[in-house]
Amino acid sequence: MALSRGIVDELYAIVGKDGVIVSDEGRLVYECDMHTFYKGAPDAVVLPTTAAQVQAVVRLCRRERVPIVPRGSGTGLIGGAMAPAGGVMVATTRMDQVVELDLPNRTATVQPGLINLWLTRAVAASGYFFAPDPSSQMVSSIGGNVATNAGGPHCLKYGITTNHVLGLELVTGAGELVHLGGKVVDRPGYDLTGVAVGSEGTLGLVTAVTVRLLHVPEAVKTLLAAFASLVRASETVSEIIAAGIVPAAMEMLDRVIIGAINAGVAPVYPRDADAVLLIELDGPRAEVEAQAERCAAICRARGALQVQVARDDAERALLWKGRKEAAGAVGRVTASYLLQDAVVPRSRLPEIMREMEAIAARHHVMIANVFHAGDGNLHPMICYDDRRPEELARATRANDELLEACIALGGTVTGEHGVGIDKAKKLPLQYADADLNFMYRMRRVFDPDAIMNPGKLLPSHPACGEGFRPTRPALPAGTWI
Amino acid sequence: MSVSARSVGGALADIVGRDRLHDHSTLTAAMAIDGRRPAWVARPRSIDALAGVIALAAEERLAVTPRGSGSSLELGFPPARVDVVLDLSGLDEIPEYNPDDLTVTVHAGVTAGSLASRLAARRQLLPLDPPGWRSRTLGGLAATGASGPRRLRHGTMRDLLLGVRFVQADGVVTWGGAKVVKSVSGYDVPKLHVGALGTLGVLAELTLRLHPAPETEGTWLAAFGTAEAAGGFVAALLDSSIEPSRIEILNAHVLRLAGEETERVAVAVSIGSAEAAVRAQSEAVERLARAAGGAVTSVGADFWEVYAQTARAGAVGLRVATLPTAVIGAMREVERHAPALVTGSVALGTLTVGLPAADVETTRALVEGLRAFVADAGGSVVVERGPAEVREVIDPWGPVEPGALALMRSLRDEFDRGRVLNPGRFVGRL
Repeated sequence: MALSRGIVDELYAIVGKDGVIVSDEGRLVYECDMHTFYKGAPDAVVLPTTAAQVQAVVRLCRRERVPIVPRGSGTGLIGGAMAPAGGVMVATTRMDQVVELDLPNRTATVQPGLINLWLTRAVAASGYFFAPDPSSQMVSSIGGNVATNAGGPHCLKYGITTNHVLGLELVTGAGELVHLGGKVVDRPGYDLTGVAVGSEGTLGLVTAVTVRLLHVPEAVKTLLAAFASLVRASETVSEIIAAGIVPAAMEMLDRVIIGAINAGVAPVYPRDADAVLLIELDGPRAEVEAQAERCAAICRARGALQVQVARDDAERALLWKGRKEAAGAVGRVTASYLLQDAVVPRSRLPEIMREMEAIAARHHVMIANVFHAGDGNLHPMICYDDRRPEELARATRANDELLEACIALGGTVTGEHGVGIDKAKKLPLQYADADLNFMYRMRRVFDPDAIMNPGKLLPSHPACGEGFRPTRPALPAGTWI
Repeated sequence: MSVSARSVGGALADIVGRDRLHDHSTLTAAMAIDGRRPAWVARPRSIDALAGVIALAAEERLAVTPRGSGSSLELGFPPARVDVVLDLSGLDEIPEYNPDDLTVTVHAGVTAGSLASRLAARRQLLPLDPPGWRSRTLGGLAATGASGPRRLRHGTMRDLLLGVRFVQADGVVTWGGAKVVKSVSGYDVPKLHVGALGTLGVLAELTLRLHPAPETEGTWLAAFGTAEAAGGFVAALLDSSIEPSRIEILNAHVLRLAGEETERVAVAVSIGSAEAAVRAQSEAVERLARAAGGAVTSVGADFWEVYAQTARAGAVGLRVATLPTAVIGAMREVERHAPALVTGSVALGTLTVGLPAADVETTRALVEGLRAFVADAGGSVVVERGPAEVREVIDPWGPVEPGALALMRSLRDEFDRGRVLNPGRFVGRL
């Protein structure tokens, strides 16, 4: 689909000529997000600076029935910010201002293009932080975090993006500018803020976000426990939770990842370990001390080969370094991999680990594992060589079986990355027709003409599916998941 | 009684069982809602039966009012119509409790108290403690969006509800969300139902996130000469590294109801953690309170039971939300109008107000005065309790942003155009 000259002229009139990209080479930059499997360049990219401009673009697109694809920093992992049916991509890059910091009320209102970490940097000196910490937080935008309802290692204790969003300014797919929620809690009526968070731009475009800020905890402690068995390490996770401790983060790395990091990043982890469990505790000092002792004792009782407590911030950073560079380091051991984001109830971690080994053996594939163990959110990387098509076929089968195994244990298709185009077809594993139908109808209320991010979030839209073939199946180096 | 009414009654009896259905012969005045007497009260025992009742109601164009424990039937406008009251207290099973996952799945009629006893054995809790929570049902707590002091640390139902099974207005049983603590698969449908009074579907089953019960919890009461001093203490507390589990302010009328002879304003603070951590933080709390001119006493855990009783006293109940920095001002505004019972959270910006008398004019003056006071901040004043005549003449919800209200109306039209579920009670008389 190409846009008519008239539509392009109208876009120029709305955002100015320098705010519209229509050249082939310019559009190419926007043809995919971090999930480079899925490619589709928009016919035009617009870079608005105000909500009024966004609204005018949506109204134009609605009148002309042109699809709209929202885009923040393009760091998503689900093909959410690519244009399967062409149309207009609205990139929030130029809407990157902090609108208001209200520290006495512990809130901030920001434009959607503001980078996640910039907000924390803006309030850190006053002792506050913005809790959602997706691994991409140095580059991902808060609007993107809202769209995908992003999580992160520390959401075990602090919750995901939705738990920190108080209000939104939204231009709906119908072109209406609405204010949902706000700085004050408990607004009467349906919780439309809660519904819009995680809607992946399928209901409208967010033009401002009001978030809650938290006080920086008094103390932080990081522990590393190495185990000779991944199943043992998984059991330890459950035992810590059962002991009444909810750490800020509990992250697991398996043998493949440990090897890749030791070889490629720095020799930070014990060589003979089959699993490394990173535990971070934060809060009042006395509480953190007591919990750290308890966690270390549980790890030892479970047969940990080694338990190490970081003595200072430098050591803490070193323990985390490997975790943060895990996804990149995997590039040393495989050319390509399929990435999953399924969740299982954390008590079923030992079971799914055994199941995963069986699946890997059955399909002759290597599966590397680095995951948010505390909440059972897995990120298995199913490795293959993209020069050998039969390897991709086996990896795909292993991927499907693993996802089905997670669902069978009571899990979910995606824990924090989102659905996008990548997982839309998988939702029926988790939802019955009536459940999906409810979501379709809800979507239509916000977006009556189905122009908002078509083909994403829900299955069986014509634009979603078989037409999209993998092209270059690996995450760029430096991505961490 | 018409033939059709007789056949509807027969059909209802077939669905829920004769012994679980009240009709004109057994209905009592107490089963009326705001004076509107239903034709039937049905108490289904299963989700299938619940769905059957709603499907029948949709077909017969009957209005259905769901009820849990009946504690919050005065929330919202008086209903436009009441044909069938759906008593959900019979849905009282706990099909799944997974302590190691800190999740539980309950049917809507389970009371928070019975769940709490089940969880206590594993030292876990669902941190939802609005006044009277023990006898209230979890479906009701979700549908009314009720919250209590523990919200400070753990959030509200919107933060705790992971998955929900509900029955749409046409009787279709639908599931939204997940049974694990982290999921972004599809829209966050559970949030749509929190505080929605069942208008987009009657809640049948909830999957909830749990928290470990603190090893130990201490509670202190700090009394101050003025509300401003009390507010200053809370601000200092929030700006410190102390992490209290509950902080609530209580005005003198509440304290007197609780048996204290005083003109003072008090702040109750609880800290729950490991014993050493509670001790260390309690010392810091005392220091801050003294610095703000307060006198601190340690009180027992049962203080919160007394608190809950006083927070629900009064003939008319209001729920006020404003900016945390404006709460003390709102408290003053209330007291300027009436000798009301005021409790609330300076940290979150919420107040619960109990008016001594259900006089329409006093209530109207207070509600309008308060609404004007919180308007600039984007706050709200909800009449959550009071006689029907009060909620008939004073919009119990107050103004809702027009764009947002239009979306809410469209959602309501999409899912319940015939207004089977709780007609007329919700915002904008949806």
